[in-house]
Amino acid sequence: MHALIQGIILGVLTAGVYALMASGQTLIFGIMKVVNLAQGAMVILGAYLSYQLFTSFGIDPLLAIPITTVAMFILGVAVQLLFLRPLKAEDRSELSLLVTFAVALLLEGIMSVTWKTSVRSINTGYANSSWTVFGYQITLVRLWAFLLSIAALLVLYLLLNRTRFGRAIRATVQNPESARLLGVESSRVSALGFGLGAATAAAAGSVYGLLYPFNSGSHYDLISRLLSIVLLGGLGSIGGAVVGALIVSTSSAVVASAISPSWSEMTFFVILLLVLLIRPQGLFGTTARGAI
Amino acid sequence: MSSRRYAGPLRGVVFFALLASLPSFNLAHWVLNILVFTLMYAVMSSSWNLVGGFAGYPSLGHAAFFGIGAYAMALWFQHHAIHSGYEPFLLLPLVGLLAAAIGLPVAVIAMRTRSDVFAIVTITLLFVTQTLAFNLRGLTNGAQGLSIAAPPFSAGTFERPFYYTLIVLLALAMGITFGVMRSKLGLSLAAVRADEDKARGIGVRVLGVKLLSFSVSVGLTAMVGGIWAYYEGFIYPQFAVDPLVTIAIVLMTFLGGRATLWGPVLGAFILETGQQTLAYSLGGSQFYLIAYAMVFLLVMLLMPRGIVPSIQDRLRQRRRRIEVDAGAPRPSSPRMTRSSDTRSSVPALKGHG
Amino acid sequence: MAALLEVQNLVKTFGTVRAVDSASLVVEPNTITALIGPNGSGKTTLFNLITGYLPPDSGRVSFRGRDITGSDAGSLYRRGLSRTFQQARVFPALTVQENLTVAAGYSWGQLFGRRLSRSDRERVGELLEEFRLGHVADLFASELSYGQRKLLEFAAVLMSSPSLIMLDEPTAGVNPVMIETMEHHIRQRHAAGITFLIVEHDMTFVMRLCNPVIVLDQGREIFAGAPAEVQNNPLVLDAYLGS
Repeated sequence: MHALIQGIILGVLTAGVYALMASGQTLIFGIMKVVNLAQGAMVILGAYLSYQLFTSFGIDPLLAIPITTVAMFILGVAVQLLFLRPLKAEDRSELSLLVTFAVALLLEGIMSVTWKTSVRSINTGYANSSWTVFGYQITLVRLWAFLLSIAALLVLYLLLNRTRFGRAIRATVQNPESARLLGVESSRVSALGFGLGAATAAAAGSVYGLLYPFNSGSHYDLISRLLSIVLLGGLGSIGGAVVGALIVSTSSAVVASAISPSWSEMTFFVILLLVLLIRPQGLFGTTARGAI
Repeated sequence: MSSRRYAGPLRGVVFFALLASLPSFNLAHWVLNILVFTLMYAVMSSSWNLVGGFAGYPSLGHAAFFGIGAYAMALWFQHHAIHSGYEPFLLLPLVGLLAAAIGLPVAVIAMRTRSDVFAIVTITLLFVTQTLAFNLRGLTNGAQGLSIAAPPFSAGTFERPFYYTLIVLLALAMGITFGVMRSKLGLSLAAVRADEDKARGIGVRVLGVKLLSFSVSVGLTAMVGGIWAYYEGFIYPQFAVDPLVTIAIVLMTFLGGRATLWGPVLGAFILETGQQTLAYSLGGSQFYLIAYAMVFLLVMLLMPRGIVPSIQDRLRQRRRRIEVDAGAPRPSSPRMTRSSDTRSSVPALKGHG
Repeated sequence: MAALLEVQNLVKTFGTVRAVDSASLVVEPNTITALIGPNGSGKTTLFNLITGYLPPDSGRVSFRGRDITGSDAGSLYRRGLSRTFQQARVFPALTVQENLTVAAGYSWGQLFGRRLSRSDRERVGELLEEFRLGHVADLFASELSYGQRKLLEFAAVLMSSPSLIMLDEPTAGVNPVMIETMEHHIRQRHAAGITFLIVEHDMTFVMRLCNPVIVLDQGREIFAGAPAEVQNNPLVLDAYLGS
């Protein structure tokens, strides 16, 4: 029982950072109908940037977030303009999978040339402090990461709901056709939306770097997890991404603490397959892609 | 016109005769090694094409079946001795059947979804398989991997049995592809790819042809996995079930041209030899990954439809022009410039009902 | 005579919208029945429910006296219930001949036969002659004009020897000559014993071709009768003009 509750606490605290990554990915899908396989690599790049700022200039990852998000926003816009926009509409959904995968490989290559392949981690002064509440251990860094992720999600929420740009994005997600008729320029929204997704990845990367050691190959683990989360929640739904992150992260933390860490990966794959069997469109998705 | 009818089979005969004669030129081992890997990829791309190209279901999970084949082979020979060295090749059909049988239920679940969701579901299956390979230590020996006894072939001609087996497998894969293209099976798959709901509505056996193409495709892929395991002599989970294998297969098929007979083979020959050369010249350095990714991106951007379809369009256009010049009463609108075809663009403006 | 198609209290809701609201209607054999109604009255949804493209929430559909509610579209097609789509759904990357062949509803064994066998060509050839599409037999469907594609889709569903064909706006977006062609083919096939249920907005087309006419409004039938009576019916006028 103790292990179970400890697992749940850990899972919920970790869910924040995954929710953040996944909302970027699901946002990109919502706007462009592109499954971004480079999202994991972008997160790791964000972590490296944050690591570099910390080791070279002593900037805390929290303070680094504004810098890394802006940098990654620009990168995201560039990726969209260079590689995704030229694709023809009729085969975009298939080709974009490959193109974003190639971008992931490209980023992986660049990262391993720049930072080599040894595992890095961001060791802040508070990295090892923890509290014990009612016998359950809560590390400061996890709590911190959780709060940071919630804050970043809040910013994203406000951006989408309180600004003109956000309204344009939401209109595009709901109905690209009518959004265009209402004068929303879809190519601009796509570029900026991809940038926003990358910026979200950067914020998540700074948090991720606090929590886990990483190297350039870490994005493979991330992307499989992220895909499960967004599919579970329903492609294009940010609320779904948050719920999906909670389910995935809690279930794998519980299995890790109750059974064995090596089986935790399996848990959410199994959950995902079960969900898809019953609801191919995911928990909060409206329609299965292409299915009517 | 009858000369064109025999051009296809002739091309096949010449190609396979050339392939079969290559080892007799006393090629260096490293060249033969590259050829063996190229053939492996040619078989796998051709197989992937059956489901990813003809049926329009872009599976990213094929490496899982490659791994299943590799492990099936390795596990069998944990318990059975190899005498002549040829037993593993005789086992291959069974490996293929096993993978096809596993593929059936997988396809039933995964093929409920379409296009990009299908891609994600299948790549998820790949990661599940990899995790299983790591975790089922009692069976797979986990990260320590498994080894197969080295074949008792003489060092001088070591690659040949693998090479010829792969040629047979390639002939099988291409033969199946050819058969599919020439039969109503191919016609049904083309309908499924274009508009699955409509296809179902006009009585096409949608589920049946999808399952059939998926199982045959993964069965062939697993057989390559089996050969690979025997050729390498040892297998580790991260190489036996490797996302990069999937991606390479997909890329080759896209480069050569989806839903064509020669496209995947051409793609495999270009990319695998290119990749091996890159790997040799840039060594183990990570620049290799960057170069590969750049090639990848260029192919997608410059030739999204692939080499073979682009050429076919050219030829078709030219043939049309000749026919028109000869007075055949046939409109000649080029197929590639679909968007500029003014006669066929009356959009359905009313969106009600 | 027993009804060919009978729809009883069919219901379909999307979220909060009742697209089809307890609709009932009857199609008698050997008629050309029209299904008309203002935009959004649920005609296409009703088509999708009857032909198995959408499952109804409740209600009953029977065809040739048998309950077919919830049957899948493919098996209905093989049993003689064919339909076309508003947007002319043909397979653009298949040739005209192939588009017809693939619609023939072949068995498992035939799957492994030739893509276009001699008998296919003969059968398809006759149909193409009838529809005057012989000269484009080897073109890809993507190379046809919109009207030709509609004609092709119509011809294709004849491959299964249907007893009832449901046409969804056969004349929408095509030129007047093509409308006449379409009418000609419908009449010819009707004379050969096929029953039609046609959704159509072109009232002159409906008035000269169809009898009876069924009017749908807000997801249910509000009128069924001879074309001459439709124009004078106050309920129908209300539905179209808004009351």
